[in-house]
Amino acid sequence: MGRVRVRAEPLELILYQSDAGTARGQASVVCFPESIDDLSFAIRAANRHRVSFVARGSGTGLAGGATPVANSLVIVMTRMNRILEVDPVGRVAWVEPGVLNLDLTRSVRHLGLHYAPDPSSQQACTIGGNVGTNAGGPHCLSAGVTSTHVLAADVVLGNGEIVRLGGLEPDAVGYDLRGCFVGSEGTMGIAASIAVRLTPDPPETRTLLADFTSVDAAAETVSGIIAEGIVPAALEMMDAPITRLVEEFVGAGYPLDAEAVLLIEVTGLIGGVDAEVDAIRRVALEHGARQVKVAITEQDRMLLWKGRKSAFGAIAKVAPDYYLHDIVVPRTRLVEVLKRVYEIAAEQDLLVMNVFHAGDGNLHPLFVFDGSEPGIWERVYAAGDGIVQACLDAGGVLSGEHGIGLEKRDYMSLAYSADDLDAQARLRDAFDPDGFANPEKILPAGSRCGEMKRAPEGTWI
Amino acid sequence: MTILGLNPDELAGCVGCGLCLPHCPTYRVTGLESASPRGRINAMRAVEGGAPISSEFTEILEACIQCRGCETACPSSVQYGHMAETAMVAIATRRSMYRRTVDRVLYRHVLPRHRVLVLGTWMLVLAQRLHIVPKRFGVPHISTSSLRRPLSADALPTVFLYTGCVMDVWQRDVHRAAMKVMQAMGASVGLPGDGGSCCGALHVHAGRRSDAQRLAMAVVASMPGEIPVVVDSAGCGAALKDYGRLLGTPEAMAFSARVRDFTEWVVETGLPKMVPSTKTIVVQDPCHLRHVQHVENSVRTAISASYRLLETDDDALCCGAGGIYSITHPEIARQVRDRKVAAIRAAAGSDEVTVASANPGCAMFLSAAGLDVRHPAELLAAVIEEEQ
Repeated sequence: MGRVRVRAEPLELILYQSDAGTARGQASVVCFPESIDDLSFAIRAANRHRVSFVARGSGTGLAGGATPVANSLVIVMTRMNRILEVDPVGRVAWVEPGVLNLDLTRSVRHLGLHYAPDPSSQQACTIGGNVGTNAGGPHCLSAGVTSTHVLAADVVLGNGEIVRLGGLEPDAVGYDLRGCFVGSEGTMGIAASIAVRLTPDPPETRTLLADFTSVDAAAETVSGIIAEGIVPAALEMMDAPITRLVEEFVGAGYPLDAEAVLLIEVTGLIGGVDAEVDAIRRVALEHGARQVKVAITEQDRMLLWKGRKSAFGAIAKVAPDYYLHDIVVPRTRLVEVLKRVYEIAAEQDLLVMNVFHAGDGNLHPLFVFDGSEPGIWERVYAAGDGIVQACLDAGGVLSGEHGIGLEKRDYMSLAYSADDLDAQARLRDAFDPDGFANPEKILPAGSRCGEMKRAPEGTWI
Repeated sequence: MTILGLNPDELAGCVGCGLCLPHCPTYRVTGLESASPRGRINAMRAVEGGAPISSEFTEILEACIQCRGCETACPSSVQYGHMAETAMVAIATRRSMYRRTVDRVLYRHVLPRHRVLVLGTWMLVLAQRLHIVPKRFGVPHISTSSLRRPLSADALPTVFLYTGCVMDVWQRDVHRAAMKVMQAMGASVGLPGDGGSCCGALHVHAGRRSDAQRLAMAVVASMPGEIPVVVDSAGCGAALKDYGRLLGTPEAMAFSARVRDFTEWVVETGLPKMVPSTKTIVVQDPCHLRHVQHVENSVRTAISASYRLLETDDDALCCGAGGIYSITHPEIARQVRDRKVAAIRAAAGSDEVTVASANPGCAMFLSAAGLDVRHPAELLAAVIEEEQ
């Protein structure tokens, strides 16, 4: 494969068999393109050998999106990590997909700008991966998720062809193909450069920590704040077990005896933020908060956020394995779904911790266990099924930000009809007719009507 | 007993979240999973699971600088350094005959023998004067007058200054500066007795644990009593503080408890009187000061009393020196250093910059890139108010 760095040593292949999720696959070859031409070259070569391919950034994904199936070629994008162009006036940056999310923000900080979507893994995850999963983050409550911040992308399609999707001009005519591509998890091709919107830093920021003696009170406070007409920049919740765990790591002053805490951030002009802080404090106290503290120094703020964003990485202190879910429910149903999550965990005798984006109803139940215990995985998966069902029953959706990947693929038919799935499969085929781009992800087998016809004999359709 | 001798619980402690990746200097410059802490841990798991200790595995582990930045970044407090050191023991015993011979000469007959080092250094000085030592080797200009004049210990010491192996021949003036500051603070400074000249840190990193244990016992014996042991090399200080674990004896634990980094001791003892300086200093955190000893702030406390300090915006990533890493892996080390130098220049806002580094290895490697690097002891010695 010529100019593209290629590796296929046995250990190297093992290291690329999964992302940070639980699904394992098998890579046949790993390559490291350094330019759009390298990328196109690698994809064309894979086409010639009729091998499928999968893109990978930092491997922090949790849904198996970067897990190679069918002996795929793994295309690692980490060496395409240049910030190509920053336009501080138009507030746009062109970046390569391997740029780390936090590095982008750091590189424009001196201009008073930042890149708004901030997944908890933002110090490690790549912009390309964020585009693939349409990633969210605590501050997406007010700023919107990744799709809002991606203006255009130069994409190498499944056959190696290079196209530009979207554009910098506002309100382009025609179909929003950029919108289709964001969140497609590499099934429609791989971005080689991405134009992202940069957001001005807010003039004032206040970070509040409210602590509660019950999970319900905290969850009700969330709805109470929004009902007050306030949309905070971020509104995060952590329950007692996870709060104690992160406090041990960061020492940020999280209360160790609270049943739940809310981490709330408001931004804006100085008069506005202070009024919002007062209103939030009042709502929280009305709903039974023990106390509401405002972080005084920038360092206190950063420590609180460091704790929140390290939460799931800290669980090895409790047990060696985790399963982190990602579901979204209407905010008004938060209290009941959360209750159901604890019930399901108790039914399966599993330890669950909850740390999530409460403001937009994006739950992240986190099961913590020792995978070597006999029968444990069955219980973990059964609990997962229960959680997904509870979420759909409440009118929720399968994923807020992690994507569908392999993990949620087989739940898709619970959320969508056969016609819906067929329409989605045909959209995907329009970008990648030969099906080489990250196969077996997102859509369950049998999504296409044609596939349904090939169902095994005796299957009742 | 497992193949690498790793504790299965320790190995299971990594959940693979990847938050360590940006804090790993070799991952930062290569983008390779196999050059990341998570990748190295998964490689160790693969070997414990039956994969061979192949040359691929050896290269993956050896390409680690052992800066331990991943440990500070890890929310689950995975003890990567300990695992890597243990895996290196298995690697070291499987080396080729030729390599084992070279290693034995370096680790047993050069580093721990002060006279051999002094002799070698005189030869090096001669070569330097003949201009046959390439600049890229990063060998500092060695002062012959300093080399000719050994340090002299005070009578009835109230504190030991640990002098080390290479540092005592190549950077003895740093020790002189440290002694000057300590004496100005009212201390009588003792020096280690015979046999205590090498701390064994490089041996631990190379997987030569039993050599390191022998050296550690000698170092402990060379500084008896209960007075503090001050170390002005971050790498040696980290090693001395770990003797408790390395030797596992009550004596070693008691010894480790006496060890202080130079700036840590200065701050604990109470800062000396200093005259304000107009100089601005960019602080470079040696990895074993920050990620292992966790006392990087004492450097700041000590020198900020006189100097204006500037910080780099690079998560205090490693500089690439890593003991002998810059010699064994020059290409990666240089790329890591390029990032560091860029971060230092960005912090200073100019190319004219003075850097504070509390580790001789970092200081030499960064100096070789054209930076003006001073040990905090030298910076303090320049501004303490002399007794009238």
